Amino acid sequence: MRKNKTWNRRKILLTFGIVMGLAAALACRLVYLMAVDSGDYAEKAQDLHERERDIKAARGRIIDTKGVVLADNRSVCTVSVIHSQIEEPEAVIAMLTEELGLEEEDVRERVEKVSSIERIKTNVDKEIGDRIRSYEYAGVKVDEDYKRYYPLGDLASTVLGFTGSDNQGIIGLEVKYEEYLQGIPGQILTLTDARGVEIENVAETREEPVDGYDLYISLDANIQEYAQQMAEKVMEQKQADGVSILLMNPQNGEILAMTNVPEFDLNDPFTLHTGEDTFQMDDKTYQDKLNQMWRNRCINDTYEPGSTFKIITASAGLEEKVVSTDDQFFCPGYIVVEDRRIRCHKTTGHGSEDFVHAAMNSCNPVFIEVGLRLGVDNMYKYFQQFGLMEKTGVDLPGEAGTIMHQKENMGQVELATVAFGQSFQITPLQLLTTASSLINGGVRITPHFGVQVCDREGNVVETMEYEEGERILSEETSETVRGILEKVVAEGTGKNAYVEGFHIGGKTATSQTLPRSANKYISSFLGFAPADDPQVAGLIVIYNPQGVYYGGTIAAPVMGEIFANILPYLGIEREITQESQEEM
Amino acid sequence: MEQEKPRLEFYAKHKGSRDITLYVLVLILLLFGLVMLFSTSAYNGWVKFQDSGYYLKKQLFATSIGIAVMTAVSRIDYRVWKRLAPAAYVGSLILSGLVLAVGREYNGSKRWLALGPLSFQPSEFAKLAVILFLAYVVEKQARNMHNFRYLVLVMVLLLPIVGLVGTNNLSTAIIILGIGFVVIFVSSPKYMPFVFMGAAGVGFIAVFLALESYRLERLAIWRNPEAYEKGYQTIQGLYAISSGGLFGKGLGSSMQKLGFVPEAQNDMIFSIICEELGLVGALAVLALFALLIWRFMVIAVHAEDLFGALIASGIMGHIAIQVILNIAVVTNSIPNTGITLPFISYGGTSVVFLLAEMGLALSVSSRTKL
Repeated sequence: MRKNKTWNRRKILLTFGIVMGLAAALACRLVYLMAVDSGDYAEKAQDLHERERDIKAARGRIIDTKGVVLADNRSVCTVSVIHSQIEEPEAVIAMLTEELGLEEEDVRERVEKVSSIERIKTNVDKEIGDRIRSYEYAGVKVDEDYKRYYPLGDLASTVLGFTGSDNQGIIGLEVKYEEYLQGIPGQILTLTDARGVEIENVAETREEPVDGYDLYISLDANIQEYAQQMAEKVMEQKQADGVSILLMNPQNGEILAMTNVPEFDLNDPFTLHTGEDTFQMDDKTYQDKLNQMWRNRCINDTYEPGSTFKIITASAGLEEKVVSTDDQFFCPGYIVVEDRRIRCHKTTGHGSEDFVHAAMNSCNPVFIEVGLRLGVDNMYKYFQQFGLMEKTGVDLPGEAGTIMHQKENMGQVELATVAFGQSFQITPLQLLTTASSLINGGVRITPHFGVQVCDREGNVVETMEYEEGERILSEETSETVRGILEKVVAEGTGKNAYVEGFHIGGKTATSQTLPRSANKYISSFLGFAPADDPQVAGLIVIYNPQGVYYGGTIAAPVMGEIFANILPYLGIEREITQESQEEM
Repeated sequence: MEQEKPRLEFYAKHKGSRDITLYVLVLILLLFGLVMLFSTSAYNGWVKFQDSGYYLKKQLFATSIGIAVMTAVSRIDYRVWKRLAPAAYVGSLILSGLVLAVGREYNGSKRWLALGPLSFQPSEFAKLAVILFLAYVVEKQARNMHNFRYLVLVMVLLLPIVGLVGTNNLSTAIIILGIGFVVIFVSSPKYMPFVFMGAAGVGFIAVFLALESYRLERLAIWRNPEAYEKGYQTIQGLYAISSGGLFGKGLGSSMQKLGFVPEAQNDMIFSIICEELGLVGALAVLALFALLIWRFMVIAVHAEDLFGALIASGIMGHIAIQVILNIAVVTNSIPNTGITLPFISYGGTSVVFLLAEMGLALSVSSRTKL
């Protein structure tokens, strides 16, 4: 037997000493990691375990001037199954098949699929969701969610716009007022294991969502609906490509109605209203068609305004005093400007007429003459003064700018055509806004929808302010223009817009679209009432009507009918005239 | 003469005088290990086998066998094993060879031999065999252990098993080398040769690492575990440790064991101990192991003969190396390599042979006057 020698013992002790030294070093390392410098890793670990689940904030509503809700939220449910938690697969399949009206095969496939969570159906009505929840089957999850809902369907679709799947505005007011409407989503912080399965019985941190603010707009759903019906009617009658109608308060720019028919269903904005089969389309064609459908022609598109623009030429001419109401003119049916012979719409000529009658007749040679008297410099000056060169500043996205000749490229011929509303383009809204500003006493207005923003309880959060517009025309000239335009409706080309008992001013237009050879027309009528103190101004634009295309014949009567109905609605009483008294 | 009646003498003189402190320490560690094993494995057991007690049951089974083995071995005179030591060594070589041929793979490593429903990890047995074998060889050559040539020769005897085990389990090969180093170190009166050996070992490891780029990658991962996908386990372990703070989240409250630290019941179990029991708990575990090692030291110093002293030293080396390497890996103090924490990490073969070693140590202790 070998003895355990002294050196053996010494070495055992030495080994033990080294081991204890290393253990002490590790103890220090532990102290360092756990007590001295643990912050970073511990936080990262926390981040890893926490799952943020957003709680959607209810989007603010859009409410019209009378309190009618135009855009609202609907509670919908998402039904999902968690494979590992399902206890009675057959019962679950049967229940989901019945309640959700799905094919049993599809439901079975999803229920039996081994995945952490499988979505069965989204946008399920809350009622059905509640019913599914009441079965209390293990592994079936019903999550509530909000979905944007437009109670009036296609009403003012191009104005209101709609939201995408993430509840974010895509077009229209929904985009423009996104920051007010969207609210602040809340959060639920839960802990999960590495597979992402939530851990039960752990207190979750909850941050409540802040609902979006309600937007109150100047639009009146009744007027809008009526205007929309009228537009649809005339579109059908005239087999037009589209019809836009704009109604606003010329005193302050509040828009009462803006319709571009055909409108589309806001609750189903990705289905083409033409009913075309989108499966056959490639993505680009489909997207182009959608964009076309969503277009708000009143502000997104420009057109040659034609004779309605004579309001502006007349205002400029009268203001610059190059013409007065009783100046005499002679129309032979044409006018020669430089080497060009520009025809009047009445080829036989209007003969001798004063300026008021020239306006009533919508006589091109007279307005060309006025334009020529103004000259390029003045025409340009008034374009700028009247605000035609800038955007109107309407609270909708995608407003198109004015397309106008460069001043240095503008010769006499261009000047002549501009004078009666051709060879340049503006948006319908720009035309109505400028005309409104000229007839309201001469102050430029900013067209708008937004009036105020309130919280859900109705407390005002913000009142929209629109700059007091600049004076762009003297009151006298404004009054003169109103008088001329009232005559146009009372006795001139706009007589089809005449409504008994009301003073209505207006101007018709028939413009040929480019290329001229296509023989396509845009008929329009711009009117306002009462003529002496305008409370409502309107513009109707009929795109490519078939058959008779004169604005005075097809556009003016529509506006007349609209005025006849909405003026009493707006509290503007019919004056009892002699004629009607006799009838009574 | 002496060898013919050891058993009788053993029972007559030393019955019941085994090291009770060691015995109690082992039982505490076993109990604590089972509690932590259940805590760390319940989730994984449920996810994999729909049975949260899956790992605990298997470990309980192995532990009961282990305790029986420990009790039996502690009552047998350790000198009996002298005769069996060469056979044990050869046996471990055969088994380790067998595992290469017909081993069962788990997690991409071929380390198990299947015995019906049970599986057996020969490398765990190899550690015990090496301790016994070296104690046997060194005792025989005790007079020559001051001779450098003999020292090297004894080391060379280890190479076959280190090579065989090392082909698929580098960590265990390093442990076996370490055990051998400790036993030979203790047996020799010299110091300088071991400084050279140590230097040679470091050099060898450097060459070994440089030979294969993936091994160098381990170093890079060690320096900056967050930047590598393979640093996942390390970083998750660090997350767990740092989440523990002073007193931990409380037993059973670890988040990291829920799949973040992969197979939390295995090599990384210490990180979960840190998370659940905090710095205090972690240091307590370290202290328990220190006490255990201290008992081996005491037993080795007081052993009646060189064979017993070397066995106790080998066991001390074994436990010390595994504990230190395991905690060093978990705290990312050294590059990641798979080493289990004795008595606590999941592993049936490991616990059975560890307890057999404890039996040996107890047996040695019973012939000392402590």
